[in-house]
Amino acid sequence: MVKEIERELPVVHMCTIVPISQTVGANRIIPTIAIPHPLGDPSKTPEEEKALRRKLVERALKALQTEITEQTVFTE
Amino acid sequence: MKLELHRLSIKSLKFGDNTGFKDGTLTVNKAELLEMISEDPLLGKNIDVDIAMPGEKTRIIPVKDVIEPRWKIEGSGQVFPGMVSDVETVGEGKTLVLSGCAVLTAGKIVRFQEGIIDMSGPGADYTPYSKTCNVVLVLEPSDPNMDKHDYEKACRIAGLKAAAYLAKSCAEADSESEIETYEYADIKTGMNSLPELPKVGYLYMLQTQGLLHDTYLYGVDVKRILPTIISPLEVMDGAIVSGNCVSACDKNSTYSHQNNPVIADMLKRHGKDFNFVACIVTNENVTLADKRRSSSYATKLAHMLGLDGIVITEEGFGNPDADLIMNCWKAERYGIKTALLTDEYAGQDGASQSLADSCPEGNACVTAGNANEVIHLPAMEKVIGYAEEANVIAGGWNGSLSEDGSITVELQAITGSTSELGYTKLGAYTL
Repeated sequence: MVKEIERELPVVHMCTIVPISQTVGANRIIPTIAIPHPLGDPSKTPEEEKALRRKLVERALKALQTEITEQTVFTE
Repeated sequence: MKLELHRLSIKSLKFGDNTGFKDGTLTVNKAELLEMISEDPLLGKNIDVDIAMPGEKTRIIPVKDVIEPRWKIEGSGQVFPGMVSDVETVGEGKTLVLSGCAVLTAGKIVRFQEGIIDMSGPGADYTPYSKTCNVVLVLEPSDPNMDKHDYEKACRIAGLKAAAYLAKSCAEADSESEIETYEYADIKTGMNSLPELPKVGYLYMLQTQGLLHDTYLYGVDVKRILPTIISPLEVMDGAIVSGNCVSACDKNSTYSHQNNPVIADMLKRHGKDFNFVACIVTNENVTLADKRRSSSYATKLAHMLGLDGIVITEEGFGNPDADLIMNCWKAERYGIKTALLTDEYAGQDGASQSLADSCPEGNACVTAGNANEVIHLPAMEKVIGYAEEANVIAGGWNGSLSEDGSITVELQAITGSTSELGYTKLGAYTL
């Protein structure tokens, strides 16, 4: 899906298992928390979880606006 | 270590007054077995025991696990340690095996993550459990709103207790068993006595994704371990138990762990073609850090043992492909040759990418087949369980069950059809 959408629009792939994302050829990759809960963490309080989710989404939006020349994993 | 498997060959099953073995027949006292299982307050009142024999026009759906009845008649510990017996180390002595017999646990748990076993017809060719005389436990929870983790555990324990009970009840017939002996030397002895042979290990990947995708080692949830070393003989005594509710085709049943063909064949070739040094168990967890940690640790153990090569078996598909691939390239970069055993999800037409991940080092790979291949299963005269589950089972879809009772599904829905331990009756030959 990442590849197909990227024919028209830039895509950020937020995923836990980065090597798979790299293998399938996503260009902008955001590492996430865990497969059953990519953007959340049930071990944290709701407030901490919201802050975590916001941080990841903001990172994704920043990645979307970043010019890249090769497959890039955004960790900040 | 030396383990004798005392195989009693079970040719038929019947219900009767006394559970035991006579003239190839396993008699099961249904009331006694039901009473033992019913002790668990988590299981409901309407549980049942049924029998399914090879060749019968019987379908069992949905199946959770398959277990081979075994009971230790000599040696330390008891079968399924940490589960239905003490945690003492197993793998030595004598273990009675009801060969040709299996306990099946059936009933609705996660629904889409259970399987189908047909005892005859085209589906029967794809599951090794169509060839066994099956004692089927049809289970239900005492409370329909019970937490699924609690209910899964109740079903798991019920199956193990039934398997241990059946084999224990046949202990008096031990004199009629055929004895198969397996020996496994300690690592030092193996290294000293076979210096000229290549040193080969087995990297045994276990499904441990949580959310009811779990495997247990001596009762320990394997997602909480660092990779460790066990004797292959311990596996034969049930040290590894499946707690998995996941696609039926390539989850390793407890039965396939007990009868792991990779272990059996490597032990047979030990001392001839190679020195089978050790079995390393590892997990398949759900965070990248866990995957990286476990693959680094498992391959480091292989390196510390001075291995020249390892056989790696995967369990499941999708993200575990990433664990498989990390295990592969990390071992190869230590100079350890790898052979991978997996299956494929290449789409119904077989044209899609087979694995979710790959690496150039993975150049020796054995496949157990394409789980997306579609099969038509004709109607059966008898259904044990709930036929309508075919519409929700992984590999099926809304409409898989036809009005005439036939089922159209992907092989994914058939228990053990693409076993990544190679525990299957189907194979391919190079002509």
